[in-house]
Amino acid sequence: MTADALVDGRPDRVGHEGGDTEAPLGEWTPGAVIRRALRGRRALLSGSAALMVSHQAGEAMVPVLVGVVIDQALGERSTAGLGLGLGALAAAFLLLSFSYKYGSRLGVQAAQYAEHDLRGEVAARVLHPRGGAEDGRTSGALLSVATSDAQRVASVALVVAMSAAAASAFTVAVVSLLLISVPLGLLVVVGLPPVLLLSHLLGRPLERRGRAEQARVARAAGLAADLVRGLRALKGIGAERAAADRYVGASRGSLRATLSAARAEAAVESIAPLTVGAFLALVAYVGGVFAIDERITVGQLISAVGLAQFLTSPMERFAVMRSLYAQVRASAGRVADVLGAPTAVGAGDGSAVPAGARGEVRVDGLHHGALNGLSLHVPAGSLVGVAAPDQAAAAALLDCLGRRCEPASGSVLLDGVPLVGLAPGDAHAAVLIGDHDADLFEGTVRENLAGAADPAEDRAGVRDAAVAAAAVDEVAASLPAGLDTVISERGRSLSGGQRQRVALARALAADPVVLVLHEPTSAIDSVTEARVAEGLRAVRHGRSTVLVTTSPALLAVCDRVVLLDAGTAAAEGTHADLVADDPRYRETVLT
Amino acid sequence: MTTPDTRRAADGTGARPGLLPTASPRQARRMLRRLLRPHRPLAVLSVAALVLGTVAQLAGPPIIGRMVDLIVAGGAAAALVPPVALLAGLAVAQAVLLAAGKALAAQLGESVLAVLRERVMDRALRLPMGRVEQAGSGDVVARVSGDVSVIAKAVREAIPVFAMSGLTVLLTIAGLGALDWRLMLAGLCAVPIQAFALRRYLRATAPVYARERVAEGERAQQLLDSVGGAATVRAFGLSAGHLARVDARSRAAVGLALRANVLRTRFLARLNAAEYVGLAAILVVGFWLVTSDAVSIGTASAAALYFIALFNPINVLLYLFDTVQEAGAGFTRLVGVAEMPPPDDPAEPPAPKGAAVRVRAARYAYTPGHDVLHGVDLDVPAGARVALVGASGAGKTTLAKLAAGVHEPDSGTVEIGGVRLDALGPAATRAQVALVTQEVHVFAGPLAEDLRLARPDADDAALHSALDLVGADAWVRALPDGLDTVVGDGGHRLTATRAQQLALARLALADPPVAVLDEATAEAGSAGARVLEAAADRILAGRTAIVVVHRLTQAATADTVVVLDQGRVVETGTHAELLSSGGTYATLWSAWSTANTQAE
Repeated sequence: MTADALVDGRPDRVGHEGGDTEAPLGEWTPGAVIRRALRGRRALLSGSAALMVSHQAGEAMVPVLVGVVIDQALGERSTAGLGLGLGALAAAFLLLSFSYKYGSRLGVQAAQYAEHDLRGEVAARVLHPRGGAEDGRTSGALLSVATSDAQRVASVALVVAMSAAAASAFTVAVVSLLLISVPLGLLVVVGLPPVLLLSHLLGRPLERRGRAEQARVARAAGLAADLVRGLRALKGIGAERAAADRYVGASRGSLRATLSAARAEAAVESIAPLTVGAFLALVAYVGGVFAIDERITVGQLISAVGLAQFLTSPMERFAVMRSLYAQVRASAGRVADVLGAPTAVGAGDGSAVPAGARGEVRVDGLHHGALNGLSLHVPAGSLVGVAAPDQAAAAALLDCLGRRCEPASGSVLLDGVPLVGLAPGDAHAAVLIGDHDADLFEGTVRENLAGAADPAEDRAGVRDAAVAAAAVDEVAASLPAGLDTVISERGRSLSGGQRQRVALARALAADPVVLVLHEPTSAIDSVTEARVAEGLRAVRHGRSTVLVTTSPALLAVCDRVVLLDAGTAAAEGTHADLVADDPRYRETVLT
Repeated sequence: MTTPDTRRAADGTGARPGLLPTASPRQARRMLRRLLRPHRPLAVLSVAALVLGTVAQLAGPPIIGRMVDLIVAGGAAAALVPPVALLAGLAVAQAVLLAAGKALAAQLGESVLAVLRERVMDRALRLPMGRVEQAGSGDVVARVSGDVSVIAKAVREAIPVFAMSGLTVLLTIAGLGALDWRLMLAGLCAVPIQAFALRRYLRATAPVYARERVAEGERAQQLLDSVGGAATVRAFGLSAGHLARVDARSRAAVGLALRANVLRTRFLARLNAAEYVGLAAILVVGFWLVTSDAVSIGTASAAALYFIALFNPINVLLYLFDTVQEAGAGFTRLVGVAEMPPPDDPAEPPAPKGAAVRVRAARYAYTPGHDVLHGVDLDVPAGARVALVGASGAGKTTLAKLAAGVHEPDSGTVEIGGVRLDALGPAATRAQVALVTQEVHVFAGPLAEDLRLARPDADDAALHSALDLVGADAWVRALPDGLDTVVGDGGHRLTATRAQQLALARLALADPPVAVLDEATAEAGSAGARVLEAAADRILAGRTAIVVVHRLTQAATADTVVVLDQGRVVETGTHAELLSSGGTYATLWSAWSTANTQAE
């Protein structure tokens, strides 16, 4: 955190300097998440709380001062009293208005900055080189942690300020009541909490029912969006009628649930005015009797009734704050789960990629997932194909080569150095995995191709070769602005085949020591595939490359091919030899 | 590098001509009246309950004022009992009446909303595919889910509170008038200030809120982009750049949220000023009336209490103003879709004779002037299988869509069984021909319901046999709940191959005489593709089929191969004929599988 942030509580910059700086990994508790959100925000928080307190004090003063004006000015028919009273009232309004304006601004600043910081922490944890945070979570779930949960945790800043305000409003009103009349004050202070508690208890079963029904409503609402997203599939088979009928069914079910929830809610909401209203009648009666006995003035009666009514608001607010805080804790728990997620790989033992790495890869007795003692040799500079009929075995091999997992046993050596000893960031830079469904990012095609390359460095030569090899020149020709066309988030505006070609060109352009490609042409038409196979071989000439694929067009251009069966290398040779000699290979690759 | 912000702002504000229509205020009012008409008794009852409840609420201050007068007059304690009893009784009446009013209002609002959203959904589902593509499926999703939920939220939360507050304000002002018209005029001094504050607020916040929504959308997109692509970000060492973009977009949203809060607090401070002016005016006028013996102290007290009680509803009213406005805008967008005419389906469409497909001189352009197809002819005899082959952009997919009746040709004709598809109408066309593309969607919910979209009356046995046909029955039976397993968004995740098997099973259930497959095996990887090719083979048996092929092995098994290049048919013939003719197809074939020829 910068010194600046300590002074005014401004948000931290997301993702610290440099690509590989390790953000703190480790245990996170909900409490730690809340403390992180409020870190360095003490000045904003206490300022906001103090102003909210004086706002409530001002609000509480309004009925009191109206009572005073009625007594002193209207009762005594005193113009001076009226002027004085109106002046005092003006002061109270100025106080409450100013206090709320700036109290709210400081509180919202604290909350917004805190939310921003938490979002940065979550993003940095997910993108951390050691990974592991996104395992078992959809990107939608992570988005909701980084947005709605972060927002809810950050709202703790407002909860703090408003709780302080409610406490002060309570105090001011109670003290004023006691000053007017001790017995009347005691009646209100002792009598109101049980009345509110009673309405709370009466309402609780109804509230539960309401919540259950709201969940049903929300589920039904998702159906419409889902059906429309699948509109092409629906239209293709003429299922519009069936879909519309299904939606009407869901809409009617949702309507029933909503109505029953709305009735429950109306009933719940009626309980408090009923009990509180009856209690206020009692206060008015007792106050009236006191006024007749001249123990209090008429103006004080008005103030007392006004204050009793005013008191219900901070008391109810305490209950609201409690349930809000429960929500804050629940969200903080979800944020803590992401921040404290176990990492997928260790930090390494400090070994470094040897200078001038040649890219020789040796896999020795590797056991992981579906791999069962796999041994494999990729001589420096060669193009090796791995044909794996079992998708699970292919995935396990990619994870081990890409340092995305800790292998159960066995080793992967890069130029004789164990991969597990390298820092994950270094390992990723040396051995690049190009997944068949690798994501593109929002930006121009050219920006996507640049990847992490330093824009100052002139790599146009490598890039142009990669573009030609992956047949991205054809893609560019069909786009309105060629390579400068902006593509939408995750490359959604391109077709599957276009996306795959751009991703392949990006991997080739990165020009890593070792490139491992997984089914790089699975969404590309067969004509283009043949062209890509040749181009790929030319671009990677003299650089180590592993092609994990069952495509004969790709395997045919490899120097050697290894057939993976039952998690181990079952056969090895050139594509042509294996096609001629090995029936298992023929079954995997041809047919 | 172009800044993403300006780029999107440019997209977002300029209303694209292709967007679905939005109703005029007059059309919207007409629709609202039409929707409310069947519920008139309910509407009357609900308004009556709310008015009576509010009146009961407003009776409180005058009764307390009456007590004050009794006390000032030196009455006995017993004299206070009737007004206090009345006070308690009114509290009960108010609570009950308002609860009933709210429940009735919910019934009214929700019933109307349900009818409207069902109609919108019906129209959206029946839009021609070309219209959907023109509008962008984002626009359609935004209407059926975004606008509907904005209005639902307003109907549930904002509109009842808004209406009640409005009612309270009106009746309170009337109550003030009943006490004394001069006290009412004093209270109304606040109105010009409130009107000014509201005007300024709405004018200043509308653009800020709009930009805030855009900024939040961009922030969410950036997070999805970075977090969803985490594996790629790590592989290429891109995390510093991605975190900087997350930071920038999050900061932009924070800045706008703070700006919106500044405007909001400024607005509230102005409302405070209005409160003070009104309250002070009532006290001054009350003082003048009391000293000139025109009203009692009790009446003046009641007026002051009334005015204090107005603070809250007025704030609520003004505060919800833009929410209600937004709901109104959403309503006009929904009415725009609801009022779209449904597609023309002839009452008695001609019956096709057989299932032969005939395309003549078909032209098609997605953007006018850029023809994708330049007068294409295609003949598929009933029961035959045609493979469409060609490089990306050759027009295969467009031709498939024309043949399936998803798009209409700009000129030329498409016939099935000798009947033109435009004479057949959308519903009858769909009974003849179905299309499965590589874009798969697994519908969220139990797997059986996904399949039953294709044939709602299919029993479990029919579902199982369709699944068996596409080679999916074994894995479906192995799912945790078999056919009842919840799949799709938020449910059990299926691989691309399995999702496509479901799409083919839906086709089997729909059972049309003509089937069009557009690279339906493309996204599944080589191993998956073989599974899907086998499935497609079984499904297409006995149907007229047009297959846009992904792997040339599929072309080899077709009765006829049609090669397209740049929107024209360049070769037609059987696999063997085209190979021996040594044209484009022969070149493609040898390029594709030197491996295969070696093996043979």
